[in-house]
Amino acid sequence: MAEELKCRICGANFSKEHTHCPNCLSGRHEECDGTLEPIAVWVKQDDTWDIILRCRLCGEIVTEAVCQDDNPIKIMSIASKPIASPPFPIEKLNEMTDLMGGNGTIDGYYYDKRK
Amino acid sequence: MIRENKKRLLDKKNYRNEPCFETFTCKVCGRTVIPEGAGSNHRNHCPECLWSVHMDNEPGDRKSDCHGRMEPIAVWVRKDGEWAIVHRCTVCGKLSSNRIAADDNPMKLMAIAMRPFTSGAIDKERIKNMIATMEEEPDMKK
Repeated sequence: MAEELKCRICGANFSKEHTHCPNCLSGRHEECDGTLEPIAVWVKQDDTWDIILRCRLCGEIVTEAVCQDDNPIKIMSIASKPIASPPFPIEKLNEMTDLMGGNGTIDGYYYDKRK
Repeated sequence: MIRENKKRLLDKKNYRNEPCFETFTCKVCGRTVIPEGAGSNHRNHCPECLWSVHMDNEPGDRKSDCHGRMEPIAVWVRKDGEWAIVHRCTVCGKLSSNRIAADDNPMKLMAIAMRPFTSGAIDKERIKNMIATMEEEPDMKK
């Protein structure tokens, strides 16, 4: 029988093979015994995802691969956090890039042109 | 020990406690980056392409020998609601986080934030099924 660990944050039980809790995606930092908090999702070149975790105690950032039974809603929730609280008005995005001389448009005109 | 402390005082390339006002050229897009207009005393990435260079082991100590390019891989929201960029060194794989500056290209930032939604790593069908099982409408299906 596989040994089970209990998540400190959400209390869910999971097997020892996991490096992070599949329910709330937080983990334990081995070096300082701090709690690893999921902060972002990294989309790699080959279209696989990694979760970026940050230690609450020492501030170190680590990445861990997304495993099969990770909660998909939780992953999407972490990925959508920056969009929910933007640092600038999204409506003015086009105007702002024009002012700065950037090559971006909201409808992706330049991307189509390059193709 | 005393000599070491003295050296640290005289060494100008140490920005752990003081702000850095250096002009640098971006290694990736070649833009000259000036410290003015950042709204931050610790700008470490190019405002146009958002790439950085691996200089520090600890923030501000300039002690790294790697000097690899650091790719912006993700953005995250801090506790106070500010955005920060996560950089990853393409040579050694070190991760670091830095606050965004006022003149960073907003379109590039949004592109990084939207990346997870454009890729199909999580099956859309799977989320659809999950929501379908949560919704309680057994009579409709029969």
